[in-house]
Amino acid sequence: MTGRPLSYADPAHLAAHQFLVEEAALLDAGDYAGWLGLLSEDIRYLMPVRVTTGRGAGFDVLPDMSHFDEDLYALRKRVQRLATEHAWTEDPPSRTRHFVTNVRTFRHAPSLLRVDSAVLMFRSRGDTRPADLVSAGRTDLLRETVAGLRLARREIRVDEAVLRTQNLAVFL
Amino acid sequence: MRHPDLAAVLSDVRSGLVPAHVYNDPEIFALERDRLFSRAWVFLAHESEIPAPGDYVVRRVLADSFIVARDEGGGVRVMFNMCLHRGMQVCRAEMGNASHFRCPYHAWTYRNDGRLVGLPFHAEAYGGDDGFAREGQALLPAPAADRYNGLIFASLDPDAGPLRDFLGDFAFYLDFYTRQSPAGVELRGPQRWRIRANWKIGAENFAGDSYHTPHTHASVVDIGLFREPRASKRKEGALYTAGPGAGTTYKLPPGGDFETQLRYVGYPDPMIGEMAATWSAGQRALVADSGFMVSAATLFPNLSLVHNWPQIDDAGTVVPFISVRQWQPVSERETEVLSWFAVDAAAPEAFKRDSYKAYLMCFGSSGMFEQDDVENWVSITDMAGGSMARRLKLNSRMGLTGSGRPVRPPLPGFAGPGLAYQGFGEFNQRHWLAQWSDHLEAEAAAR
Repeated sequence: MTGRPLSYADPAHLAAHQFLVEEAALLDAGDYAGWLGLLSEDIRYLMPVRVTTGRGAGFDVLPDMSHFDEDLYALRKRVQRLATEHAWTEDPPSRTRHFVTNVRTFRHAPSLLRVDSAVLMFRSRGDTRPADLVSAGRTDLLRETVAGLRLARREIRVDEAVLRTQNLAVFL
Repeated sequence: MRHPDLAAVLSDVRSGLVPAHVYNDPEIFALERDRLFSRAWVFLAHESEIPAPGDYVVRRVLADSFIVARDEGGGVRVMFNMCLHRGMQVCRAEMGNASHFRCPYHAWTYRNDGRLVGLPFHAEAYGGDDGFAREGQALLPAPAADRYNGLIFASLDPDAGPLRDFLGDFAFYLDFYTRQSPAGVELRGPQRWRIRANWKIGAENFAGDSYHTPHTHASVVDIGLFREPRASKRKEGALYTAGPGAGTTYKLPPGGDFETQLRYVGYPDPMIGEMAATWSAGQRALVADSGFMVSAATLFPNLSLVHNWPQIDDAGTVVPFISVRQWQPVSERETEVLSWFAVDAAAPEAFKRDSYKAYLMCFGSSGMFEQDDVENWVSITDMAGGSMARRLKLNSRMGLTGSGRPVRPPLPGFAGPGLAYQGFGEFNQRHWLAQWSDHLEAEAAAR
């Protein structure tokens, strides 16, 4: 029951859009504990490896290999690690900016929204290195709960087959 | 690079004092291209990536692109990906399935075994075979190609000799990662990403740097993901060099037999049974009698392996994983990392699922171990590019006294071939650098 996107004036679309913007603000502030609070217990956070294939091949992601394929345990471990005093790759931290746009909201099921968005992440480390850009499309499922929207599933479709950032110690 | 300068660099390297600039030096990189990658056996792909006729992947040896294809007869072909006519890259996808490859430029067409079968207007343009004999024309095959445990290697040197001869005693260790049952291993991936680091740093690290583990990877211990890297445990591991490879191990708990030790790292009993039946007496003894489990390793020049056993859930379930990875040089200051997840093809599906999860959490583009490694390597490369780095020789003599004797004697009774030491040392990195020096000293390979 996905069909056409909801009107930009639809309260569900406005809430979904606001959710993504608020989420980006938490990530850019490095408030990963706050970010975990936006995830549902059964979250699946997926970023398949994108590949260069012929137009007729019928696929451009690997079916069985991802950069991320995370449940809540794995995401909590990543956040716990960043909070230790020994997560060198983010100490000093990257300066990131998540630009979120092209937001389209669909009524997926009762109490479940599908939200498509584009994200461009700017990542700067240190003072001598060129900054990195990661561009991706995202397809999210947002669950409407009494406590507000929660992210139940995210699939990140990265636009490069070969990532140009030193690691994914950051979230998209 | 002027000869006296190179001789001095190699002399320093062989004494365990590595001039820092070799990690970011265009002249050194040119020598590596002309003298090392022009000869060495370089990993390209695994047979499990191209299981069916027509399956192919496109991989590189430095700037040279090769199609690695399964032909209609089931054979593996390694073909230079450049059209014989005007030099277009024949196949521009990185993977797929094709019976033929047709060049986009003038439609010259090659079967998936490389043979030229289509050439438009052959009669009108060339007067048929009189002007251009199609018979025997094919994409250039790799000068040498060979396989071990399904791992496909190529060499740009037609006189490279058999791969098995090159692997020598390292094959003993390679089997732990790539032959846990007669079914062999299957590779998934690779994840690919570019890091602004010199390719040698990762290769040396995986060869033998157990010394970095307790500190670089302290966060992984802090959060209880993998408990082994703490220093008290890591220093009991053995470092071995064997043939063109070298690796690190962890010391297993005392007193365990073969089955107990493999259960300790998280293998289910059916897989342990396969390992017991597949591995040699010596390979079993390394686990059961010597009490060591392989961890990181590097096969010279740029293929590395890793085997760790983290906790994959809050219940504390320990599951091992294997990764095969390549440090593909792009320039003296940039490397493309290709990282595959590897698992025994006959393993239970539940094990494959859990092992994949273990891999993703620890290694690869998002891995919690690898994240901190790459931060270090990028920083080293950055520092090595300046003038002061030419005045600094990095001390890589760990494990040796001032007079060059080992601090501790080689480990007696180590069941694997080659030479092993217990505790921290840079024996393996020097072993890798000695091979590197030998290559850089040799004359450039004929083109």
